[in-house]
Amino acid sequence: MGTFRHPGVGFLPFALSIILIALSLALIISRWKKETPSTPFWSRRSWLRPLLGVVILGLYALVIEKLGFPLTTLIFLLVWMGVIERIHWLKMVSISIGVTLVLYLIFGFFLEVPVPMGFFK
Amino acid sequence: MLEILNSFQGLVNGFGIAFTLTNLAFALIGALLGTVVGILPGLGPSATIALLLPISFQIGSPVTSIIMMAGIFYGAMYGGSTTSILVNIPGEAASVVTCIDGYQMALKGRAGPALGIAAIGSFIAGTIGVIGLTFVAPPLAEFAIQFGPPEYFSLTLLGLMMATLLSGTSILKGLIMVALGLLLGAVGLDPISGEVRFTWGLLMLQEGIDFVTLAMGLFGIGEILYNLEKELTTELVTRKISHLWPTLIDWAESRWAVIRGSIIGFFIGILPGGGALISSLVSYGLEKRISKHPEAFGKGAIQGVAGPESANNSAASASFIPLLTLGIPGNPAIAMIFAALLIQGVQPGPFLISEHPDVFWGVVASMYIGNVMLLILNLPLVGIWVQLLRVPYAILAPVIVLFCCIGVYSIRNTVFDIWVMGVFGVIGYLFRKVDLEPGPLILAFVMGPILERALRQSLLISAGSPLIFFKRPIAGSLIGFLLLFILVQIIVTVRKR
Repeated sequence: MGTFRHPGVGFLPFALSIILIALSLALIISRWKKETPSTPFWSRRSWLRPLLGVVILGLYALVIEKLGFPLTTLIFLLVWMGVIERIHWLKMVSISIGVTLVLYLIFGFFLEVPVPMGFFK
Repeated sequence: MLEILNSFQGLVNGFGIAFTLTNLAFALIGALLGTVVGILPGLGPSATIALLLPISFQIGSPVTSIIMMAGIFYGAMYGGSTTSILVNIPGEAASVVTCIDGYQMALKGRAGPALGIAAIGSFIAGTIGVIGLTFVAPPLAEFAIQFGPPEYFSLTLLGLMMATLLSGTSILKGLIMVALGLLLGAVGLDPISGEVRFTWGLLMLQEGIDFVTLAMGLFGIGEILYNLEKELTTELVTRKISHLWPTLIDWAESRWAVIRGSIIGFFIGILPGGGALISSLVSYGLEKRISKHPEAFGKGAIQGVAGPESANNSAASASFIPLLTLGIPGNPAIAMIFAALLIQGVQPGPFLISEHPDVFWGVVASMYIGNVMLLILNLPLVGIWVQLLRVPYAILAPVIVLFCCIGVYSIRNTVFDIWVMGVFGVIGYLFRKVDLEPGPLILAFVMGPILERALRQSLLISAGSPLIFFKRPIAGSLIGFLLLFILVQIIVTVRKR
């Protein structure tokens, strides 16, 4: 951590942690007596869609290197629009294929980002 | 006098750079992208520039990529008003105030003049802002060359504090975000000793948390998760937009609002944390106060559109001043451009103008051109962009998420970064739920390394005496100003109760 004379690696983080604790306590105390807000933190089922979004994102990260970018992206779009948004299936499929193609053209082809190809190599 | 001549000389050279085919093309791309993300709610300029950071090398030379990113930033200020006026949702944070009177004008069938005055005001203000940038930045940089570590520490601290206090949320919450941002900035190798900090034994964290990953998580993913909760629907108030050119009466009513907005925006924009949002709020408040018909505000007063829309544009131009002369980013979007400069090997700071005159003058000149492009894009062609609002968020959201994933992946070609982004996405979502503003966090994250190095170097110079920050004239005045600023804030807060 070091001293004032020779501030070390832990100097700033330590000081910051103390400040952070103090600030958090101050925030808790300042809110203690106030009424709780009238709108609930999570109204009924409002947490569901964000949660689904996070889960789909996690699955995407999990399989992208195995299945490759084009296939994973297609599945991602289908699952996202199908599970979270419930769009008409024909529209959903055509949009998914179109977006996947465009994204692959932009990143894999035009910008030459080394996207994972999985077993499409 | 010589300084002004030098600025002219630099500007002429800058136009030489900006008028090459590549740079004109990328200025146009930036202006187009800016208009698009400005119009689309749920995707702001900060997240867009962050998305482009990983590919900024592919775009080309430093000046070309910064020209484009700057275009996105000020272009979004033009686009944002369109959504505010037609849908009553701010397309971009700085256009919140435009909703009030802009939407009322649209309801009364005056969407055309509202869009028109917003674009014309934006153009005038944007140009005034760039003129200010042209002549204020060089002398300021010259002055800042004499700054040493103690001055830098005081300046960054002052910048961070002002950014926090002006960001609009409660002071306590803002300060907590700053402390968190500084701590996150400390992850990885220590800049001075080379020891590792907070990596939890993960090798991937040794290089620290990448700025792009953090920004896309907090701004991109966080925003989308938050919007998923409330099903955004964009319903246009009118399909037909006519009479875009304001009548002579409209112009007479709003021209002074435009000028006042431009000036307010410029001065607030220079301040760290001031930025586009605050300046538009201040401008609206002022227009309402000095108006002969304050009761018309909220019912479709054209000044309520002209003033704020001008203010946010000139603030956007002005916020380049602290970045390009002091190396201090004052708002999240500018922090992204700060990162872009670093990626390209250009150190933002007082030496930028003298060491990379092509970058500075090229970008400044392109901003004059970009404003003309944006006026054309947003006045005669506004009808095309309005169609964008028909793309449902249900399709937009997964596409933005995919952009974020690929962008983050492409930095180091590792899935690990997608996980990190996801974690920050969830954190960003929760921040929005509890009304914590991620802006100060990202600024603190960027300024953290500068702040820490300056602090530790200063303490080494002074052999451990913190008095060094008070004894040196410039550092002392900055700290004094900071204390004064905090004192005023405390008095204001106490008075309110």
